[in-house]
Amino acid sequence: MGNLINEALSMGWMVLAILAGLLIYFQVSISDPVAKKRATFKTLIGIVAAFLLFVAIANYKNNFYGENRLLPVSLVMITATAFVMALYFTNLAALLKIGGFMFFVAAFLSGYGNWLPQVEGGFPPKEEKLDFSSMTPQQLADEGEKIIFGGIGQNKVQGAIGKGQCPLCHAFHAGMLGERAPNLLGLPERAGKERLEDPKYSKGNPSKREYAEKESFPGAGTAENGQEYIAESHSCPSCYVVSGYGVKGTNDKESPMPKIHKPPISLSLPELAAVDTWLYVREGREAPSYEEITKSYEKFIPEAERPKMQEDKPAAASALLADGSEPVDQIFAKAQCVVCHTIPGIPGATGTQGPKLEEGTNAPNRIKDPAYKGSAHSTPEYIMESVVSPSTYVVKGFPDNLMPKVFGQKLSAGALKKIVDYLSQVKAGAPPPKIS
Amino acid sequence: MGLVTRKKLFSIMALCAMVGLLLLPIVMSLPSSAAGEEAPAADAAKKEGDKVEKGRDVYYKTEGIVVGAPAPKTTDGPKDYPRYNFESRVLLWFANQQHLYYGSFVLAVPIFCMVIEFMGVVTKDKALAKRYDQLAYDFIKISLTAYSLTAILGGILIFTFLTLYPAFFGYLSSIFRPVMHIYALMFVAESGTLYIYYYGWDKMKEGFLKWIHLSMSVVLNIIGTLLMFLANSWIGFMMSPAGVDEQGRFLGNIWHVIHTALWNPLNVHRILGNMAFGGGVVAAYAAYKFLASKTEEDRAHYDWMGYIAMALGVAFLIPLPFAGYWLMREVYAYRQQMGITLMGGLLAWLFIIQATMIGILFLSTNYYLWQALGRMRGAEKYQRYIKYLVFLLVCGFLVFITPHTMVMSPAELKAMGGQQHPVLGNYGVMSAKNGGINVIITTTVLSFVWYMRGNKVSTVSWSKFGNIFMGVFFACAYVNIIWLAIYGYYIPANVRVGLSVPQVATTLSCLFFMFALNGVMMKGAKQMGPIEWGKISARSQYALIMLATAFTWMMGLMGYIRSSVRLFWHVNEIMRDNSPWAYTHTVGFAANMISFNVLFFWVSILFVFWLGSLAAKKAPVEAKAGVPGGAPQPAGSH
Repeated sequence: MGNLINEALSMGWMVLAILAGLLIYFQVSISDPVAKKRATFKTLIGIVAAFLLFVAIANYKNNFYGENRLLPVSLVMITATAFVMALYFTNLAALLKIGGFMFFVAAFLSGYGNWLPQVEGGFPPKEEKLDFSSMTPQQLADEGEKIIFGGIGQNKVQGAIGKGQCPLCHAFHAGMLGERAPNLLGLPERAGKERLEDPKYSKGNPSKREYAEKESFPGAGTAENGQEYIAESHSCPSCYVVSGYGVKGTNDKESPMPKIHKPPISLSLPELAAVDTWLYVREGREAPSYEEITKSYEKFIPEAERPKMQEDKPAAASALLADGSEPVDQIFAKAQCVVCHTIPGIPGATGTQGPKLEEGTNAPNRIKDPAYKGSAHSTPEYIMESVVSPSTYVVKGFPDNLMPKVFGQKLSAGALKKIVDYLSQVKAGAPPPKIS
Repeated sequence: MGLVTRKKLFSIMALCAMVGLLLLPIVMSLPSSAAGEEAPAADAAKKEGDKVEKGRDVYYKTEGIVVGAPAPKTTDGPKDYPRYNFESRVLLWFANQQHLYYGSFVLAVPIFCMVIEFMGVVTKDKALAKRYDQLAYDFIKISLTAYSLTAILGGILIFTFLTLYPAFFGYLSSIFRPVMHIYALMFVAESGTLYIYYYGWDKMKEGFLKWIHLSMSVVLNIIGTLLMFLANSWIGFMMSPAGVDEQGRFLGNIWHVIHTALWNPLNVHRILGNMAFGGGVVAAYAAYKFLASKTEEDRAHYDWMGYIAMALGVAFLIPLPFAGYWLMREVYAYRQQMGITLMGGLLAWLFIIQATMIGILFLSTNYYLWQALGRMRGAEKYQRYIKYLVFLLVCGFLVFITPHTMVMSPAELKAMGGQQHPVLGNYGVMSAKNGGINVIITTTVLSFVWYMRGNKVSTVSWSKFGNIFMGVFFACAYVNIIWLAIYGYYIPANVRVGLSVPQVATTLSCLFFMFALNGVMMKGAKQMGPIEWGKISARSQYALIMLATAFTWMMGLMGYIRSSVRLFWHVNEIMRDNSPWAYTHTVGFAANMISFNVLFFWVSILFVFWLGSLAAKKAPVEAKAGVPGGAPQPAGSH
């Protein structure tokens, strides 16, 4: 308060001095005692009001950029000043009262704005064009880690996930079991030996393969070395499926993994090179050069299908899998729900590792199930609970901990709402709802 | 040649001059639109053979020859963002907002003048006609002083752009070069027309000449509206660019650049908004004069003036939410992400403030009308029902301002146990909110109906039936709106959205049918006593001031929202903002800044009013001529 008074005095001393001068002048110049008394009183009021005004202005000035929620108090002080002055300066009373009232309205609205939760839009992501080809292996590996986990040093953080979305299904460290996809620890070594030597892989003879797809594209052939194996498994996951990790009911002939160079993930070749480099570097191995890795991908991805590096699109840097602006079918695809669940009405949602999502029918029954220990009382609440916290209730016949627990963080509130809205309308035996 | 004939001739010549001024910019722009931009490019193309570069329009998806430079890629530094030791964006915000306030005011007031002058011309009661004419003259006098301030503020705005954002302004002016020149010429036309209109007032106040004068106001308003449309094209381009390729290179079609996805909804929304704002400012002026009046006559005049201005302002306020709905729908259609940022994302809390403001506007309007009932003999019978209207308004208001879907952090989501608040969230569902605002608007319509029949008793033979019909109609409207609001809970969200149509239709039915029916019933009605203009309470004038301040504040708020939805783009997805201020401020900062702008505007406009009062003092005889003596007659508008 002392500082405010000092500042108010330093700011308004001239005005206050003039008013004080007037006070003295009135003492000397007015002879009528009644008029003198009135003039003195009015000038004193003027001095007090002017002082209050400068205190308010000083407060406003100091806190212009701050988050001081008392800031509107200064506006209220101005209001009080105006009304006090209106009492004594009757000629200007209307103007002062109106001014004071307007200040009050503005103060109220300012206060209201400051009382609400303060959300500030952060700085936009830096506009940077990454030239992966000129990076050192470590830099490239760092970029790879960002793509897989969303940030450097995030690979051991539970729930960390990046644009590539790999941790949704794969584990990366010893002792972690990926039930939907193999643990990728040791892959660089395993790829060139175990995998290529597996008779089912049919190295050099793709026509003998007994999988859903025989080649990445006609004439692509099979991998000749470990890096090419990794490239092929990214671009054609169903060309070879590790035993036990196929889509349920296909006898491991079809992989649940999407083609990484295609939507919704759409990693470009340089990005895939970064991902692969991280797989080598984090195990202390020497990674193949950038050119070698991209060449291995060129073997399995025809030029027309290669996605371009995204430039000048900062929105892509979002850590969310879906922000809610997409139609619901795309949200299901981006969050990879379609890989494990069958969802009526959603194209490509034929997964069988999780239950079929007919929640309009299922949810009420599950809430009534004596084994249900969750807190949901309605279908939308149940769906929200099972997306955000899947272990609260596990449907019989399906394993626990298979579904990632990251969707509460990785889907925007809007995206979650769309999922809940859609699934609550899906009923067994009824036509699927419209996609919105 | 007689005096009257000579006057007629001069008047017709003046009108022709105005039409000429109106057409001048169009004629000037003909060469550029016919051949101007594309022709040189085509010539160059011929000369350079195959070197012609074509681009694809980012919005219209048509191909065009590239004739402009790409949008500059700015960097943070004195070259692209020269600055003082202060946030440049805030300085620009201030300059822009002040110019817009004055611009809106001087565009809205001539429309009022046109309407009021027309009412004066067609009114058969001569005394009343004179009062309308005087009122219109008073309005234009106020706007004349504000007009020069608008021009000065426009100059300050351009200098602010040129000195603080040279790269951005350079790019914008390279695209809009012909439009900016036409804009400048239109401004000349507007000024010329305004001066002829104002100074010709006394010379053209009778008979045919009055009609010529009235026609001039139409020309004046056409120019003003076109002027605003052109300015809107710049902000439309910044929000939803068209006519350029992905790199921001102009493709030669100036119409595409003007006619962007959001241009038309912005135009409609701004016209209505300006009118409501203008009504608010004039009402505040009348309130100020009322409170400062020393005589009964002055109080009567300014009471009446305040009522007319308020009624005109509210008449444009009522369709404003529907225009806003259209604008928002077009925003969603253009970029869904933009719509979500507005309504359910970063800027969503600002819409909660907007909802509060709308509530305040309607509450103030109703409060004023209830106070106004006090100056009518016979209106006491309605007083005891006002408490029920208060109840309806408050309930509607509380539901209307309840948030539903907000952007939340995972922690907040977890704390709340879901995306919505377990109890309050239920009230914020769209159909319920629609129910809330429709209840508010319907109640305002009811207040207006009561006000219009305050001191009258219907003499038509079917008046009893008419009253019962009106009562039942309003009751059914409330039941329908509230029932649909509740029904919305039992159906999925995508179906629920459709409920707004019958809800709005119900409100509009009340507005049109009940006003019309009431008008028919009150034709030739028995008057219980005259409206005692000037006998209204001082509190009512504070309601008008509240209305004016809230309009001003809301305009600042919505302008801020519209501008900040571009986030870190100068021109959405075309030209990035790389200044140190490319982030969105907090709600609190924005609210403080808006308050500052509002108060600055009001301090300056009070100064303008004061200047106007000086001029009035110098010409007391002329000004007094139109002020009615004794008890004024009721205005014909109710």
